[in-house]
Amino acid sequence: MPEKPAYSSAEEPQLVEWAKSGDMQAFEELVARYRDRIYVRAYSIMRNEDLAVDLSQHAWVKAWQRLEQFHGEASFPTWLSRIVTNLCLDELRRQKRARMDSIEAMEEATGPVENRMEIETIDPIEGLSREELRERIDAALAKLSDKHRTVIVLYEFEQLEYREIAEKMGTSIGTVMSRLFYARKRLASLLKETLKRDGFIE
Amino acid sequence: MNENETHLKVQALVDAELTGREAEDLRARIETDDGLRELHERITVVRGLMAGAELPRTLPESGDFHWSKIAQSIEHGERDAGHPAKPTPGVNRWLRWVMPLAGAACLVLLLTLQLNAPPDLGILLGGDHELELTDDEIDIMTFNTADDAMSIVWLDHSIDLHQDRLKLWLD
Repeated sequence: MPEKPAYSSAEEPQLVEWAKSGDMQAFEELVARYRDRIYVRAYSIMRNEDLAVDLSQHAWVKAWQRLEQFHGEASFPTWLSRIVTNLCLDELRRQKRARMDSIEAMEEATGPVENRMEIETIDPIEGLSREELRERIDAALAKLSDKHRTVIVLYEFEQLEYREIAEKMGTSIGTVMSRLFYARKRLASLLKETLKRDGFIE
Repeated sequence: MNENETHLKVQALVDAELTGREAEDLRARIETDDGLRELHERITVVRGLMAGAELPRTLPESGDFHWSKIAQSIEHGERDAGHPAKPTPGVNRWLRWVMPLAGAACLVLLLTLQLNAPPDLGILLGGDHELELTDDEIDIMTFNTADDAMSIVWLDHSIDLHQDRLKLWLD
């Protein structure tokens, strides 16, 4: 067996191969490289620090157990991101079963009417850095319902297609389209509201 | 197609989910319809804002602590599932078949030895009473009870010295 170089300088595919053969140190290096990224995805969906940490941890354990199934079709962090996303969706389903989500039920019921409303226009914003804008988008995302935030995260951040989102969320493509439309409209409205309040737009 | 469906199709066009003839027809409609054109622009702007908008965050606990929890869960999981400490795919597959077979073989061997090779001590089993046998080297006592389906064999080189204890035990 060839001698292993320092883990910190090893290429990702090599680390994955070592981890597949049972090398925990190689896996630890992968965790060190992507732990924040996986946490961010879990947080984007769950909006709860503790849950996001727990689900990230769970995702890494699952990844270790399923390393055999990783054949490099997607990149390793993309594969991991899918795992943590699935865990988050499972958790949301579990939470939904545990409570009656009456507000979201109302939103769904009023969807077709809301969809007729226009999406707000957001012109290029002077005096607002990309970082500040990101923070405002993040705050707006936090105000969306679980369903609408999830569909946005899956489409915009996880970069899944409508069909894939429908499969993951256990719904139809039409519902995904409707939720995405409403989520964007609501997001634009929330953004406009905050930018207006802070005097960036009139 | 109602207005609501048209709006969703405009969104699908922006998202590149609408292709072929349907996409071409909708593009043509958008060119002549101010409302649809405006909607198309607005969705495009929102999409543009969302690109790379996921706020970077740092795990709110130390990397070492996070890893220690992961490592512990992996070890516990493997211990609980009876897995080896490392995921060695080839070996796992092999063991999955061999372990039950080996277990069954051991059981069969044990039963065979018990049934086919009783100790040749000249003891007749089946009576519900105490037997005492002697040979040149050892003293052998056997207690056999059919009710309890149990046989006890007692071997001793100096049975006289232990007579009291033996008597006590038999009582």
